Amino acid sequence: MPQLTQQFSRMPRSRLLRIVVLGLFGIFTLRLFYIQVIQHGYYDEQAKASQVSKLTIAPERGKIYAHDGAGVVPLVLNETVYTVFADPSEVTDASKVTQVLKNVAGGNIVSDSLARLTDKSVRYIVLARQVSRTQAELIQKENVAGIGLQKGSRRVYPEQALAAQTLGYVNTEGTGQYGLEEALQARLVGTPGTLEAVTDVRRIPLTIGKDDARVEAKNGDNLVLSVDRNIQSKAEQVLRDGLANVRATKGSVLVMDPRSGHVLAMANFPTYDPSKYGDVQDYSVFQNAVVSAPYEAGSVMKTLTVGAGLDSGAVNTNTVFNDSSGCATVDDRKICNVEEDPRQANATMLTTLRYSLNTGVVFTLRQMGGGEVNRQARDTLYSYFHSHYRFGQLTGIEQAGETPGTIIAPDQQEGNNVRYANMAFGQGMDVTMIQAASAFSAAINGGRYYQPSLIDGTLGSDGSVSSVQPKVLAENTLSPAHSAELRDLIWQARKQGFFGPNDPEGYKIGGKTGTSQVIDPKTGKYSNDNSIGSYLGFGGAETPEYVIMVRVDDSKAGGYAGTTAAGPIFNTLSNWLLKYLNIEPMR
Amino acid sequence: MSYTTRRNNSGFSSRRERSWQRNQNTVAFAPRAAMGPITHTVLVALMIAVLGLIYLTQVTKTSFYGYTLNTQSEQMASLKAEQQDLQVENARLQALQRVKDSNVAKAMTEPKSVDYVN
Repeated sequence: MPQLTQQFSRMPRSRLLRIVVLGLFGIFTLRLFYIQVIQHGYYDEQAKASQVSKLTIAPERGKIYAHDGAGVVPLVLNETVYTVFADPSEVTDASKVTQVLKNVAGGNIVSDSLARLTDKSVRYIVLARQVSRTQAELIQKENVAGIGLQKGSRRVYPEQALAAQTLGYVNTEGTGQYGLEEALQARLVGTPGTLEAVTDVRRIPLTIGKDDARVEAKNGDNLVLSVDRNIQSKAEQVLRDGLANVRATKGSVLVMDPRSGHVLAMANFPTYDPSKYGDVQDYSVFQNAVVSAPYEAGSVMKTLTVGAGLDSGAVNTNTVFNDSSGCATVDDRKICNVEEDPRQANATMLTTLRYSLNTGVVFTLRQMGGGEVNRQARDTLYSYFHSHYRFGQLTGIEQAGETPGTIIAPDQQEGNNVRYANMAFGQGMDVTMIQAASAFSAAINGGRYYQPSLIDGTLGSDGSVSSVQPKVLAENTLSPAHSAELRDLIWQARKQGFFGPNDPEGYKIGGKTGTSQVIDPKTGKYSNDNSIGSYLGFGGAETPEYVIMVRVDDSKAGGYAGTTAAGPIFNTLSNWLLKYLNIEPMR
Repeated sequence: MSYTTRRNNSGFSSRRERSWQRNQNTVAFAPRAAMGPITHTVLVALMIAVLGLIYLTQVTKTSFYGYTLNTQSEQMASLKAEQQDLQVENARLQALQRVKDSNVAKAMTEPKSVDYVN
């Protein structure tokens, strides 16, 4: 050891320095080798993590259009909006920020946000929301320190509240709520794209990365509804006026094309403006009652019971029954007609529909069971109601919150003879308007059950509409011959009835009223103070070209709400449709 | 007539001259100034610097394309937003309620009767 020290002390300084320098270089080389070669993967990942950004390219939500006669018009569009935010630690002049925002976006300022501008402990404050592009540009021009703009999009409704429940709305998270927006969220929202690239400090993508990748976003479908803007607007206006006339609080109208199952209008009252959904206090107005509020539709269902009777062979158009008592007994219950109805010894299916005879449909049910209301009769009626008319099942219409309604099967304890006698005239079972109108359409169009639909197709970039074919769910809901017989009966019944004499000449307008009692939730019994009036009918010349169903809740007009409240709405709309659709009268 | 040979008969002869053969040039021209190690190092450093500059120019140029692309994308987005605004404005102007409230619509009357021509 002393020898080694001696050797070093004798060594020239230059040589010693060389050894030290070389040694240091050796250490550096080894360290660099360790970092660059052995640890290459780790540092490569670290570098990528800090340099490469994965950016999402937001797709544009699909727009929604309606028909306007032969053309299409937008019902829902998108608009670019901005959120104005501040980083108080970067704000140098809070008073200027306040002044600029009040001048440019006074109505969009988030309450109390400006007061927090001096709080340096916070790094992010939203100052204003839903700021338009023009406002955003004005704010940007002011070049105020500490202020930023975040781009977003919002739905715009040029027709305001038109078809509000049918459309639904989109919440701040970009999720569709209620109506079409929720039901077709997946089709409307599109697919986000991605951009993976090396970015600078401002996250601006640079084109220097060999691993840069760009996947374009796929915008949502631009949907064209079968709804006609003019029919929808007229339906809403007629409904609003009709409800006001009878001082009713609530109602709905559905207009369908029985030849395709396409919905032409779906109106509800009360309604709301989807662009101001946040202001709504009563959330029930968001619901589309046409698809989500099943009810005992009452006597409008007699048309379908008679149709089932004709098709099953239980009755025919010449069948006569004795209705001189005006009542029928089923088990221990006596079912009677209303007092004003005539008591005839030779009542027919036509008089059953003409005078809305409960006894007539109970007779039809009885005939299904070979002369008595029994299991066979119940099975037959259930088969028609459930399997042919598809009650108790979702129709599959493009609406959120559709409910299947209730129909009690004959093998259940509650599915007894009395219930089925009630079901024959539309009590003791719940259906939605869309179910009733779809079944009615199938019963009068020759027997073809079309799946009700709101979608006509999609709008291409060239402005053309790619229509989708209507979906047939079943043929022979009724046989074509029995369908024609039923259609004729319904037409004749209206023609001879209260409304028929005022119908325009040369057209076949058919329909049936319904007034159903409502169960009082307090007593659990049918109340005489409240009822729901309905009207279900069709119109056209040789063949039906539209089906209208009207529902009026809580009418104060007196009489039977089906006749006094719902019927007039049907009449006004039907007469208007004959002109609007240019339906030529029969000669 | 005189005749001289190229052979040198003096005492000293170089290696080249010693290995002289016919038709071979015996004169070699060497540069007077030779490059030393420092010059070599400086030149190599300069070459590396030039190469580095070229590389940096290319990289900057490519990065610049990124900024150009970004600017153009922003312009596109801005124009798209403007187009959206115009679409919305157009739709609002043609909205049914607005049309109904127009003076032209208010002046319209319901036809008393409609006849169809076949």
